[in-house]
Amino acid sequence: MPGKAQRMRHALITAWTLAAVVFIYLPTLCITLASLTSSRYFQFPIDKFGLDWWRKTFNSIEIRQLLSTSITIALCVTVVAVVIAFFGALAFARYDWRGRSIYQKLILLPIFFPQSVLGLALLLWFNALGLQMSWQTAVFAHLVWIVPVVTLVISIQVYSFDPALEEAAFDLGASRWQVLREVTLPVLFPGLFSGALFAFLLSWGNFPLSLYTTGADTTVPEYLYAKMVAGYTPGVPVLGTVSTIGAAILLVGGYSLILAMRWARRTGSE
Amino acid sequence: MRRPVVLSPGNKAALPVLLFLLAGVVAPLIAVIWFSFMPPRTFSLAAAPTLENYVTIFESTSYISFLWSLALAAATVAVLAAVCFPIAYGLVRVFGKWATLLTLLFTIPLFVSENIRLYGWVLFLIKNGVLLGSLKTYFGVELESILFTRTAILLGMVYVYLPFMLFPLTLGIGMVPNETRDAAFDLGATRWQVFREVELPLSMPGVVIGFLLTFVLAVGAITEAKVLGGQRIIPVAQDIEIAFTYAQNWPLGAALSVLLMLVVGTLVLTALWRFDLDRFLGRK
Amino acid sequence: MAASAPILSLKAVAKHFGNFTAVDSIDLDIAEGEFFTIVGPSGSGKTTLLRMIAGMEQPSGGDILLRGERINDVPANKRPTCMVFQSLALFPHRTVGENIEFSLKIKGERKEKRRARALELMDLLRLPQSYYGKNVMKCSGGERQRVALARALAYDPQILFFDEPLSAIDSKLRKTLEKELKDIHRETKKTFVYITHSLEEAMVMSDRIGVMRAGKLVQVGSPQEIYSTPNTRFVSEFIGDVNVIAVDLATDGLLKSVSHAGKLKPPTLPAGFVSGHLVIRPEFMRFITTPSEADNSVTGRLYNEYALGSRIQYQVRVGEAVFVVEKLRQQAFVGTLDEMVTIGWDAADSILVTD
Repeated sequence: MPGKAQRMRHALITAWTLAAVVFIYLPTLCITLASLTSSRYFQFPIDKFGLDWWRKTFNSIEIRQLLSTSITIALCVTVVAVVIAFFGALAFARYDWRGRSIYQKLILLPIFFPQSVLGLALLLWFNALGLQMSWQTAVFAHLVWIVPVVTLVISIQVYSFDPALEEAAFDLGASRWQVLREVTLPVLFPGLFSGALFAFLLSWGNFPLSLYTTGADTTVPEYLYAKMVAGYTPGVPVLGTVSTIGAAILLVGGYSLILAMRWARRTGSE
Repeated sequence: MRRPVVLSPGNKAALPVLLFLLAGVVAPLIAVIWFSFMPPRTFSLAAAPTLENYVTIFESTSYISFLWSLALAAATVAVLAAVCFPIAYGLVRVFGKWATLLTLLFTIPLFVSENIRLYGWVLFLIKNGVLLGSLKTYFGVELESILFTRTAILLGMVYVYLPFMLFPLTLGIGMVPNETRDAAFDLGATRWQVFREVELPLSMPGVVIGFLLTFVLAVGAITEAKVLGGQRIIPVAQDIEIAFTYAQNWPLGAALSVLLMLVVGTLVLTALWRFDLDRFLGRK
Repeated sequence: MAASAPILSLKAVAKHFGNFTAVDSIDLDIAEGEFFTIVGPSGSGKTTLLRMIAGMEQPSGGDILLRGERINDVPANKRPTCMVFQSLALFPHRTVGENIEFSLKIKGERKEKRRARALELMDLLRLPQSYYGKNVMKCSGGERQRVALARALAYDPQILFFDEPLSAIDSKLRKTLEKELKDIHRETKKTFVYITHSLEEAMVMSDRIGVMRAGKLVQVGSPQEIYSTPNTRFVSEFIGDVNVIAVDLATDGLLKSVSHAGKLKPPTLPAGFVSGHLVIRPEFMRFITTPSEADNSVTGRLYNEYALGSRIQYQVRVGEAVFVVEKLRQQAFVGTLDEMVTIGWDAADSILVTD
């Protein structure tokens, strides 16, 4: 239904959305700006531009340890989450079984839950079990929230999976294992990849759960928070910017890969 | 094939997740609930159950933080509903092929830790920060910072939880088939009537999930108040944290958590009890 | 007809889902090399039956015998049978060649042998050799059908099953593919078991047809038998439009009907016939000027005419009843709508069915 009123409306919506995008990225911009100063404190407009703090940060051993901890946790979380969530997604979206509807609601529970409270509850639980807090307990804590999210992400792909594909492969003589390897996993791969991406990024950026469950180990977000509260240096925005850019690269890169996979399927592997 | 089946493939596939959730969610929650009935400031689970902690909550200021958290969360939902609805509408019906790029843009911040992003706001709003510094230097205007006010906290919450309102709303609006809208217009309805009679009811699943998710997550928010609000408001999550850490009063913290869980749990269960997740997530 | 033992034998095969009976005790023998089609409306249980024979479902009761051996407990991947699915179930992440070779790859055959066999089958199914490396999802509907069939044939099954593979194709392409399927059947000499809801489709391709309704096999016979001598009203109404008159046997050996004044001359009366329906196919009705030109006749109003390609169908309303007459285009009836006309048929051209 064309018409001036509609065009006006669309223009307003577009303007509003662009404003929202600016709103979303404004803090990130500020952080990047704050990382470019040579002085110790933040003052705007910046009088002394410089990349000194970038150099200092990348040379710091402490920072490297942090990065290593965060990445290790994220990788462990990714691997475990994708495996568990793969089966969870099949139960969620593919098979029809009696408890499915309740199961679907149960999966949502950890997502619809304030993370800080979840973190504290896990802290209590680990202590009650007599466990020492370390990056391993943090992995478990992250998984509690991330496994349901990844299950949902993979389920979206599973919904459009034609079960007849597995039956056909089976009918053509494949064993159950061969069906999984030759048909199920390859076809579901984009969903699994998205899930892995989500798992990694959500773990990498997580703060509330890490705060209470990492114990002596520290992740990047925890370090940043501590420094924000006391002991600010421009190293903080440096790390913050790195974190943001890293996430953006992974996300955009991952998404492009998925698009490329889809395009390759459609135009044929010649 | 299989004889008397004990476990169908669906059951078997669900097992790992269920076991994990049992150990990771159910068990801790039970521990928390149990702890909430323990005498204050103890760390063991073996003492005689008591309701002291709950009494303390209602007699002290913890009660107030609870209400503040609920109020802030409600305000966040209201603001975000108004903010996100046009954007969601645009993503589904206006932006065409740009929608994917825009969605990606809105998604990226989700993966950056919220305290980093909130700190950006600090840098923006602080005295001599990006906003006030520029105003002073370039325009000669000196304003008070809104940092460390309640408004700042609300701003932070709106900022952090925007995607959680936006994406479900987008999914919900996407559930309205174009043809149904066209048919309503064709039958003489005005723009507003089409919205009220067709679009809004059919997007309800998305609206419900958006409101619910935003509210539930916002009610447990803590970082916004800490980073942007100074000590203006102590949300209930911070009270819980204090109880668990500084005050060394686990049972009290547990009791507060239980109350929070009750509120959250009741809301979630009522809203989602008969929710058709299959249709929402795109089952063909 | 087969003097040798049937390749496939179903004895009292049944399937229940809780209280619901999908397949209600079916007995059937299928001869080797036969093209057998099971026809039935949706919900008749034909898909369930096929899936049981193919090994995708477990029967609740009865035996399925392949060359005399009971295969109920043999899983689908070990049965020497192969199915072409309704959605075709082609592997979207693989090329045409990889799809066709799938079963050979599973068996562990060498690359060169696989490729040779795939190309051979592509020739048989008239797929250009250049399609070998083409991604399956990029092929047209008709081409995908052929790939699905080639993939099944590569397995070298003793019986090939077809689960309504043509139902999602537009009618012109469907007619071409139906005929091609019949040709392929002739060339490969394998046993084909096909299911469809369209009796017309079944008649094009099949050696024998089984009509299914509510889980039971109502009639089994050659296409000619099903068409010309249906045993029930249900089967007779399954194809095209038919004229049906409820009749009772009168004492003088003629038929009387509530909806019809006067008596009707019957065809050969089945033994023990008391009441039932008289069925006349539209092509056996003709326009006449006086009642004496045919054994039976009715008079009514020419309500409408419909052009159906090479034939024209006329609707004649006799009171509440509707009669259908079909004529070839070259022998079209010359008349005006709303005119009173007389139509008639010979007794021998009609069929009496019970129920």
